[in-house]
Parts: sequence; structure tokens; C-alpha cells
Amino acid sequence: MEIRELAAMPAMGPLFARALVPSLRRGPARVPEHAVRVAGLSQDRARLADYDRVCGFAIRDEVPPTWLHVLTFPLHVALLSDPSSSVRLAGVVHVSNRMRLHRPVTAAERLDATVHIEGLRPHQRGALFDLVGEIRVGDELVWDGVSTYLAPGAVVPGEPVEVPKPEFTVSDPIAQWRLPADLGKQYRRVSGDPNPIHTTVIAAKAFGFARPIIHGMWTHARLLAGFEARLPHTYEVEVSFTKPILLPGKVGAWWRPDGVNWAAAATTPDGSKPYLVMAVRS
Amino acid sequence: MATMLEQLFYSGPGQAVAGKLGLPEPETLRRGRVNPSGPVAVTSLTGSSLGSDTLALLGVAASAALVDDGDEPPAYPARLGALVVDARGLTLLPQLEGLRAALRPAVKSMEPSGRIIVLADDEVSGLEAHAVRQALDGINRTVGKELRRGATTNLIYVRPGTGATDLASTLSFLLQGRSAFVDGQSWTVGPAAATSAVRERPLTDRIVVVTGAARGIGAQIATVAARDGATVVCVDVPAGGEALAALTNQLGGTALQLDITAADAGERIAAQVASRYGDDARIHAMVHNAGITRDKLLVNTDAARWAAVVEVNLAAQLRMNVALLDGRPGGLADDGRLVSIASTSGIAGNRGQANYAASKAGVVGLVRALAPELAGRGITVNAVAPGFIETEMTAKIPFVQREVFRRTNSLGQGGNPIDVAETIGYFLDPASAGVTGQVVRVCGQNLVGA
Amino acid sequence: MNAPRSAVIVGGNRTPFVKAGGAYAEASNLDLLTAALDGLAARFGLAGRQLDEVAGGAVLKHSADFNLTREAVLGSALAPTTPAVDLQQACGTGLETVIYLHNKISLGQAEVGIGAGVDSASDAPIVVTNRLRRAILAANRAKTVPTRLAALSAIRPAHLMPVAPQVVEPRTGLSMGEHQAATTKRWGITRQAQDELALASHQHLAAAWASGFFDDLVTGYLGVTRDGLLRADTSREKLAALKPVFGGVDGTMTAGNSTALTDGAATVLLAEEGWASANGLPRLARIVDAQVAAVDHTAGDDLLLAPAHAVARLLARQGMSLGDFEFYELHEAFASTVLATMAAWESAAYCRESLGLPDALGSIDRDRLNVNGSSLAAGHPFAATGGRIVASLAKQLHAHGSGARGLVSICAAGGQGVVAILEAV
Repeated sequence: MEIRELAAMPAMGPLFARALVPSLRRGPARVPEHAVRVAGLSQDRARLADYDRVCGFAIRDEVPPTWLHVLTFPLHVALLSDPSSSVRLAGVVHVSNRMRLHRPVTAAERLDATVHIEGLRPHQRGALFDLVGEIRVGDELVWDGVSTYLAPGAVVPGEPVEVPKPEFTVSDPIAQWRLPADLGKQYRRVSGDPNPIHTTVIAAKAFGFARPIIHGMWTHARLLAGFEARLPHTYEVEVSFTKPILLPGKVGAWWRPDGVNWAAAATTPDGSKPYLVMAVRS
Repeated sequence: MATMLEQLFYSGPGQAVAGKLGLPEPETLRRGRVNPSGPVAVTSLTGSSLGSDTLALLGVAASAALVDDGDEPPAYPARLGALVVDARGLTLLPQLEGLRAALRPAVKSMEPSGRIIVLADDEVSGLEAHAVRQALDGINRTVGKELRRGATTNLIYVRPGTGATDLASTLSFLLQGRSAFVDGQSWTVGPAAATSAVRERPLTDRIVVVTGAARGIGAQIATVAARDGATVVCVDVPAGGEALAALTNQLGGTALQLDITAADAGERIAAQVASRYGDDARIHAMVHNAGITRDKLLVNTDAARWAAVVEVNLAAQLRMNVALLDGRPGGLADDGRLVSIASTSGIAGNRGQANYAASKAGVVGLVRALAPELAGRGITVNAVAPGFIETEMTAKIPFVQREVFRRTNSLGQGGNPIDVAETIGYFLDPASAGVTGQVVRVCGQNLVGA
Repeated sequence: MNAPRSAVIVGGNRTPFVKAGGAYAEASNLDLLTAALDGLAARFGLAGRQLDEVAGGAVLKHSADFNLTREAVLGSALAPTTPAVDLQQACGTGLETVIYLHNKISLGQAEVGIGAGVDSASDAPIVVTNRLRRAILAANRAKTVPTRLAALSAIRPAHLMPVAPQVVEPRTGLSMGEHQAATTKRWGITRQAQDELALASHQHLAAAWASGFFDDLVTGYLGVTRDGLLRADTSREKLAALKPVFGGVDGTMTAGNSTALTDGAATVLLAEEGWASANGLPRLARIVDAQVAAVDHTAGDDLLLAPAHAVARLLARQGMSLGDFEFYELHEAFASTVLATMAAWESAAYCRESLGLPDALGSIDRDRLNVNGSSLAAGHPFAATGGRIVASLAKQLHAHGSGARGLVSICAAGGQGVVAILEAV
């Protein structure tokens, strides 16, 4: 696979503007075949601390795995704004995410981040594809993650694949979050994701939501932060985003050990319906 | 309105107006443990040396008093601080001339807050001697009204067998500023089995309990007792807590929040004393100061108003005394002191205060009855009867009425709480063992109840 | 060999407790604590005395009050050379300060000291937003004027909004009432049972006030001479008419059977037993032993049932059983907390699974429970509750007679519990 080396992380604003412009191509959906890479990335400790605060993590030298996802996110945007992509970031839906921390990563480490797209496949509502990220320190793979997106309306030949519904059991929440109206703006600040669907009512309405919705990756991070002290040293965490959360809002959450693993969910306040279902495997 | 009027009177121009209205600016009285600044003169009309012996015991240098023998009285070379007239042994009416002759030059030369002290026999026999005894009281009261600028006169009846040590605390009290608001009064001093020397801090290492100590006169009683060396136990109703705590901490005593009308109030006081100061600790002095008023004309006084006042002002102390006198740990010591607060209202009656007058007159009766009963244990029982004292309570009286009350005494002013407290301090003094069964008015020789 | 040292409760003093925003609205933690210390000093003649240490604390505390207890000592009648320490264990603070001094006295590190606690929900610290705080800190760090201005320019009007203190468990986002509502439901505690307990609390407290029980335990403050939340005239009917405030429409927890936000301060004087008698101080009760415990409410445990665990461990260590006490003081954070705690001790399943006991711990005689009222009637100024309970219980035990034992149990935020055993001297 061709790897295009970038000198630095691309600025998201202009990229995103391009990513918002719908592709004029007709016919089967296409995604870039190359990978993009930024080497020697240093981490901004102040921004990390801000991220930790917004998501509920304790500020410490070892970074949360979701932070490493955030670091790779500009590369997602770069790929989906590439001329070779018929799929644009605007309008795609993050449906699930899986990431594995191979070893704890500290804020002092310089990271090499690479992202490519694979697995373009048909879905009843369009096409699914995976953005696969890897973070290495030198030659050592320390983190990898797969973000699965749905591009509604995109056409891919073949039989639509069934996406299995995540396992969810109704439980009483053991925690409750009150999400303030400006949470989208807070998370935009720390994640760099400028998608206005999270911050403005007009953009949210354009995509069919009555109010802005919080980033799925915030919910992911917040839930993980709820029991971070009990998480194993290294682990894999997989989440399914089942329903968007409108801002402001009240969300229930629970987590419970399942042998060496954990099950967790963000739910409606009464615990009856999930917004996000999580599994942690060590 | 009252406040405005008051401000007017006490402002600069207002004082000039007040002066024209016949309301002179009141003299600032000499107070505290301070002797007269001028010389002290002493004279004996019939050869008794008790007066001069007592002055000598107190270390007060005294010169012979000048005697008037003509139209112009002889003039003292300097303003006179005090005159002590030993009139013991007087049995004949002509002998009163000796008193006149000693008083005339002294009154003329008396310094502000000066003192005249007359000593007389308490027990006399014969008709003429009784007439003389009572005549002295009339003279004393009159001189009190004629003396100016805060000077006072008082008459002490001395029982047979009374020595200088028995009399010393009384004479010291009268000479010093402590007796500032005691004027025109007479009371009796007798011999005591054991009397201490007069000291600057006579209550050192002694426990004094004061009820109603949180504010007003009670606070001042506790303060004076502490000044005189006492460890004070300040008692007041639980509601008085914050002020009680502040005062107690200031005085370094202990506070006891207690409703004195509780059936076990005396037991609880003793328990507090025993628990804080040890089972061997005893109360040197119990000052029954707590009191209330529920003023209404008799026709408007219901049973509740009646009962509340009698209960707090009189019944409660009767009950407490029983507990404190039964020899329990933390109770009243032998050679101890019981002091109650009577009132000029109790002596003279006062419109709208039937309940209060009953309770305070009752106190007088109690003191007189209890004193001989406890004499064998060396416990003295006395009362003060305050007149118009400047307190939060009297501050609520409408101005004009208050100004009248305040001025209708020989000193032309209201007393301060400390004047009551000092008189009580005199009772508490271990040197006052010969003073018992007495009710001393602290009223500036108020017209009421004379 | 030195004689064994034991710490005794000499006595206590507290302010009357009042509803937040009431008569003490203008008083700070410092004011309240100073007043309570002064009342104690007056009661025991401590004015000008140097004590070995005053341990105190508040739950809602301004950052400026970093030395709250020491500052209160300096403002009080105690000798200014009396050292002080701030401790904090949420609602367990007051009892924990007593345990701290008990331990020091027992070890010979102190002869006499004061355990204290205060809270003013009226004086709760209002803080600035994180963004404003960080911008100001950045500006302070800046070495040049332009960088300072740049740092300050990051401030937006929205950052200037004050932030009220969170009254929720930080790791669950649930208020204590919401947590307790789940516990109430789980243990099947009925509305009627809760209201009965609340009624008893008011009746007991009212009777204690009427009998003069608090005459030597409370000193009036700011014109208040009695606990302001006490409703001597409340009734089953009045309590039953209240609407639920926790647990949704079907909830059973009301303002009547839950504690209100309260202002107040409480102190306890402790001394080594021999020292107390040598100094002519009362010896009401010894502290026999104490225990803390915590549950994992972040994994769904009942937030306020930690005292059930602490008591089990304490009894095991002392070789005692739950019935061995003349009096029980179970802090009434909510009526259902007390009821759920007792239900837990009576549940063989819970005692086996959660407390590691072979069987149920047992039940307690309700006639010996909170006999002078507790937090539902008196109110609950968080850190002051321990001092209120310890002083009242010590007095009650002493009146009952030598050897009488009492159990104190206080639940605290963060899933904690602090418990202790007192025994009349």
C-alpha cells in the first residue's frame, strides 16, 4: 500500500470544509487506497489535560486509548477529503469502534500515526467502511484502532452485510451524567473535530436532529473514564454507537466485570435503551 | 421621639438648655478600689476608738476632724476626702451637737465624691438613747441630700463586740469608689467569729456563682468577682448562651446554662462545681441575681404573670439554697456568702409591679430570716436593693420618665451596674463576715422607698 | 510499665442547627466553628488554656479556609498556642476528628483536645469556571505583558459565570438522594416505615429539648437557641402528605424523611482519663474502638451502607454482638438509610455475601435507637453531625450508668462509613 507521508498533522478546518462538499461522482463508491502517515508526532500536554477533563479521565502521564484515536482523527479527515474518495466525511455515521492498547503510552512519547481505509462493503442503508489506524513508537505497535463508518446512500456492489446488533441487557444505571448544552463545543476544542452537527442547531437540523448531538467518541471516552481505575494494563475496547445523544441531556451509565472482561453501556436515564454499548477485553 | 429629645439634651447646646431647666450635668463619680484623693479626718464624739482603729488597720492616715464652735465654721486646709465620725456611745440628745459641729466644716469642704461615714451603736437602752439612735439616721439622710458633687454619707450601726477587723471591710468599701452610688443609707455590722484581713483581691481561689450572668448587672457582678480574684461560675438560661460564653471566656470561669426554675437547679449548680473543680470544691458565694419583670397594673395581672415573676425571683432561690446548703459536694461552703437582689420597688412598692414588688420584698424577708439561721455556719446572707441603674432594661423606659427616675436621687444621676456589683463584692469579701442580714440600697438615695 | 491510657469524652458543645439560608445565612464556617469552640471553652473553663490539639473540618470548604480549624482556634478563647488540624471525611468528618484525638491521646501524643466539625450550606464555596481559572493561572505565569494579555484574552463572558458546588457523587453523577432511592427500592423500605422513623426523630428531639437535655450541649448562636428544623408538632398525617423528592413519582423519599441542607458546628472535648480527673473535668464516656469501611458504589453497591460493613468488622474485633449496646446512634442521612442498614444486618444473605459473616448480624431494639432524636429532626450540617452525636451519646450513656455502651454509625459520601463504640465511665 502506498503510504503518503505528511510533514505534520493536517489542519482540520480547511480539510473539513472540503470534506463537507458532496462528491459529484456517480456510480459505485470509492475510497482512497493509500495510507497517510505522520511521523514523530509530539503530544500537547495542555490539550491532553483539557481532553482528560472534558471526558472525565484523571490527568496522568499514561494517555487514554481514546486520546490516541483523537490524535489519528485528522488523518481520517485527510483521507475522506482526498480527491480519490467519493465518500465525504460529512454525513457519514460512526457506527462502531474497536481499539487495542498494546502497551501503555505516555504523553512524553513521540508517535508515528498511520491511517488507511479498508473493508468497503454494502449495507442496507449504504456502505460501510473501516478507517484503520496504527500508532507506533519506533517499530513497536502500541495502539491500533478501527473506526467503522456508514456512508448512507453510497452504492457498493454485492449483498448487504448484516451488522449484528450489540448485546445489551437492561440494567439500572450506576452513574448519571448531565451533559451541558455546550459539551459539543468543549469536545470540539479538545478533539479538533469541527463537525457543526455537534455544535449548532442549524447543522444538527440539516442532518435530521432536533438539537446538536454529542460526539460518539466523547461518550466512548466518558464511559471508559467511569471505570478507568479498574481497567487492565492493556486491553481492547469495542463500542457500538446505537443512538445519538442530543444536547443538553441526561444519560445513565453502568459497567460491570464479566470475568476478566467488562461490559458497559451508556443508556437513557432509566437504563432501558442504550446509546452506546461497550465491551472491554483484556 | 424620645431618642431625639435625649440627643437634644446631651448635645452641646442641649446641655445648656438642660442646665437652664434645672437638670445639672451629673457629676462623674469616683469608682473602683480608689480611696478619696483628699485627706481623711476622723473624730470620736464619746471616746470610742473604733473608727480610728479601723482606719489605722486599713492603713489610711487620718487627721483630727475640725470642729465648728462659732458662726463661721473652720475651714479645712484642703478639700476633705472623707470624714469618719465615731458616734458610738451617744445616748443623750445634747450629744448630737457634737455631730453637727463635726459635720458642718466637713460638708463645706467636702471634695467631689467625698465621704461622710458615721458609726453608731446598734444596741442602745433607754428612751433617749433610742431617740438619739434614730436621730442619727435622720441626720444622715439629710446630709446625704445636702452634699453635692457626688459626695455621699452613710451610717453604720455597730453591734456590741465589733472590732476593727470586723468593721474594716465596711469602712474600706465606704471610703472607696466602690460605694459610689450608696448614699444616705444605714446598715448594721457585727462581730464575726473569724474575719480575714482586707485585701486587694479578697476572692482569690474562691468560687463565686452568679445567676443571670449573661448580661446587665449579672455580667458586672461576675466581672467584679473575677477582678477580686474569684473563679466565677456564670449561670444563665440556655437562651443566653452566646453572651454567657463570651463573658465566661473573658473572665476565665465556667458557664452553666440552666433554667433556675428547674426543680434540680441547685443540684446542677453543685454538680457543675464538683465536676469542674473537684469533689472537695465548695462555693464561696452564691449570688442570686437572675430576675425578671412582667409589669402590669394589678388589675391586669393574671396568674401566669404573677407566677412567673415570683417563681424566678424568689421561689427558685429558696429551692436552690436548700440544695446548696445540704453539705453536698460543690455546695455552699461554711463561712460562705449568700447574696440576693432586692429592689427599691420591693421596699417602697411601685405602680404596675405588684408581682415584682412581692418577689423583691420577699427577698428582704428571706435575707432577714436566713441570716440568723446560718450564722452558726459562718454563712452571711445579704441583699442589695438597686434603685435606678442604667441597663438595657431601664433604657427601654420612655425618656422623660427615665430622666425623672434617674434624677430623683441625691446624686442626680442613675447608677451603673458596677455600683451594684461592687456592693455585692463587699458582701462577698471574706473580711465582711460581720455583715449579715443586711439589705443595702444602691440607689443614690432615691426618693422612692425612703 | 505505664498504665494504659484511655481517652474520655469530657463533654461537648454545638450551635443550634438551622436550615441553610436561614438565621446563619451570613455566617461562615469560620464564624460557626469559632462560636462552637467558644461555647465549649466557656462550659469547661478553657479560656486561655493551651490544648494539645484541635482537630476539625468542614465538607463544603472555601480554598481560603485551608487552615479553617487553626483560624477558628485563633479567633476563639482558647490559647492561641493551641495547634489545630483540618480533617475531612465527608459526613464522617466529625466522628473521624474524635477518633483521631482518641488515637493520639491513647498513644500518649496528647492529653486533651477537641474534635470538631462545621458546615454551612449557606456559605458553600462558589467557584469560577475551569476555563477562567486556567486563563488566570496562565496570565499569572506569563512573564511578559503581551503573553499575559494573550492569556487573559482567552476569557469569554461565559467563563465568568460562577459555578455552584456539585452535590453529586463525582464518579456516578448521582446525588446522594438518587443513590439512596435505589437502595430504598432494593431493600423494599416503605414510605410508612420511613415516615415513622422521621416522626420518632422529631418526637425524641423535641422531648430532649423540653427536658433540658441540651442545656449543657448547645450554646445559642445569633439569637437562635434551639434546632431550627425541629418540628415538634409534626405528625404521621403531615409527613404522609409530602410529595416524593427522590426516586421518581413512585418514590418514597420526601423532604420529611430526608435531611435538609443545614448550617451548624459541633465540638467534643476529649482528654486522657487520668488527666481529666486530675483537672477536675467530667468523664462521661470512653471511646472503646472505632472503624471505617467503604463500599464500591461506583460498581453499584449501596452508597450509604458502608457503616453496615464497618460495624460488622468492629464487633468482630471486639468480640461483641449487635445486641450488646444500651443505645444506638444511627445517623439519619435519610430515614431509609437507617432502615436499610438495619435490614442489612438482619439479612442472612447480605451478611453472608457482602459482610462475610456466617449468618445475619442481628437486629437492634428500636427503643434504644436515636433516643434523643437524630439528623432528620436536628438537621445535618455534614461535618458537625459526628460531634453532635458523640457528645449527646456520651451524656446519655453517663446518665444511664457506668459501663453502658453505645454504638455510633455514620454514613458518608463516597460510599464510606465511620462507626465507634462508646462506654460510660
